[in-house]
Amino acid sequence: MAFKLDYFARETFVSLRRNIMMTLAGILTVAVSLFLFGGVLLLSRMVDHGTARWKEGVELEIFFVTDPTQKQVQDIQAELDDAPSVKSYRFISKQKAYDLFREYFKDEPDLIEAVDPETLPPSFRVIPEDPALTKTIAAQFEGRPGVDQVLTAEEQVHRMLRAISWIRRLFFAISGILLASSLFLIVNTIRLATFARRHEIQIMKLVGATNWFIRIPFMLEGLIQGAIGAGLAFGAVYGLQQILSDLVQRSEGVFQSFFITTGDALGIGFIVLAIGAFVGVVGSAIGLRRFLDV
Amino acid sequence: MITLEHVTKSYKGDVVALRDVSVEMKKGEFVFLVGPSGSGKSTFLRLLLREELPDTGRILVAGRDVARMSSWKVPYLRRNIGTIFQDFKLLAGKTVYENVAFALEVIGRPRHVIESQVPQILELVGLAEKGERFEYELSGGEQQRVSIARAFVNRPLILLADEPTGNLDPATAEGIMRLLDRINRTGTTVVMATHDEGIVNTMRRRVIELDRGMIVRDQARGVYGLPA
Repeated sequence: MAFKLDYFARETFVSLRRNIMMTLAGILTVAVSLFLFGGVLLLSRMVDHGTARWKEGVELEIFFVTDPTQKQVQDIQAELDDAPSVKSYRFISKQKAYDLFREYFKDEPDLIEAVDPETLPPSFRVIPEDPALTKTIAAQFEGRPGVDQVLTAEEQVHRMLRAISWIRRLFFAISGILLASSLFLIVNTIRLATFARRHEIQIMKLVGATNWFIRIPFMLEGLIQGAIGAGLAFGAVYGLQQILSDLVQRSEGVFQSFFITTGDALGIGFIVLAIGAFVGVVGSAIGLRRFLDV
Repeated sequence: MITLEHVTKSYKGDVVALRDVSVEMKKGEFVFLVGPSGSGKSTFLRLLLREELPDTGRILVAGRDVARMSSWKVPYLRRNIGTIFQDFKLLAGKTVYENVAFALEVIGRPRHVIESQVPQILELVGLAEKGERFEYELSGGEQQRVSIARAFVNRPLILLADEPTGNLDPATAEGIMRLLDRINRTGTTVVMATHDEGIVNTMRRRVIELDRGMIVRDQARGVYGLPA
């Protein structure tokens, strides 16, 4: 068996080198398409992390007028307690609102200076049972005595999520097309390799080599192309993760929640490797389909 | 060793290559297949190798039903059959030694077997000194000897030869025939398709003549043409 491995390794290497330009083209297309694919997965993961925070966070905020009466606040609170669609809520007092304001704008002391805690309205931050109920809840509290306005995060968040989902689909489509073209390139490389070696294949069949014995060097050739391409993509995805993490860490506020971990990058990397190897093997299998006609 | 029962084979366009052929060849026989071009000689050999399937009829080679055999078993059938051709079919990028070793390598024979078998067979075909030569450094006769070495290195039960002397001058052809005769004497069944009248008449072995896909003569110790 050791000897056969020797044979397969040698034949595979010789064939890879003989078609070096086609081989490189195959490897690079696999790399680019899988990098795009991995990059999209990575961004999706970021968005998942980001929206996961939002989902357990505030979906709508009921702002009072600057100085609501005790009664007005209590009425709203009682109504929130009774509403089945409300999961939980939190009262933000004038002072608390001021603390949050100072936190959000900590790099702009002039702005903080200009704001008087007394001018900030108190509010309720409400988490609905189901994000889909946000609008219903907002409508319920709109225009109540003492209520100035009800702000929902929904529209902005959902518009952004829609945009991201379109971008995601677009990138998946592009990487799909590139992946298909890398498959065709590998099919073509293997077909050329079998053509270059048709005399050898003819002899092999004549003296009774099994079909698997004939196929294995070509399948390895495809596998290696796919795997090297995927390896490059893996490295690039890992690099992208480092860059994005760095950007996120240096960013402010809400973007902090769009983190990605090295674990995310590694998980995606292995998906990318598996796809690369799969494309390589399938490509060579298709390329080999006609070798029986030699 | 080889049995055909009512074998018919036609190609696309209603060209009938073999028509209801029944014949039996025993172990150790030397059989000439003669007949004009297109009489079905090559189809006969291709059927034995299962490069083609018959339309009807039964073909037994070394006890196996060739037509009904599942395709994954075909390589094992072929390990029992050595084949040589008019155009030798050597691999140009390999030396004599490598050409012969290749045949053992690709059926998974271990290295020590190859290292003992190849020099032995090169000795048998008279090329012991030329193992490192390439195809272009050899004469036609030597090239055919390499292809015989490759076909016989695995000690097959049957040797099929399709016009093996077609590209050789008479003196060289005679040498090849002596080699095939020697191989035949080891008990190997040899089936040789040929146009070479001189060889057939000198050897005086069994002759099967095909004409338009039918056996028109089957004669022990025969000659090329019908005896007057």
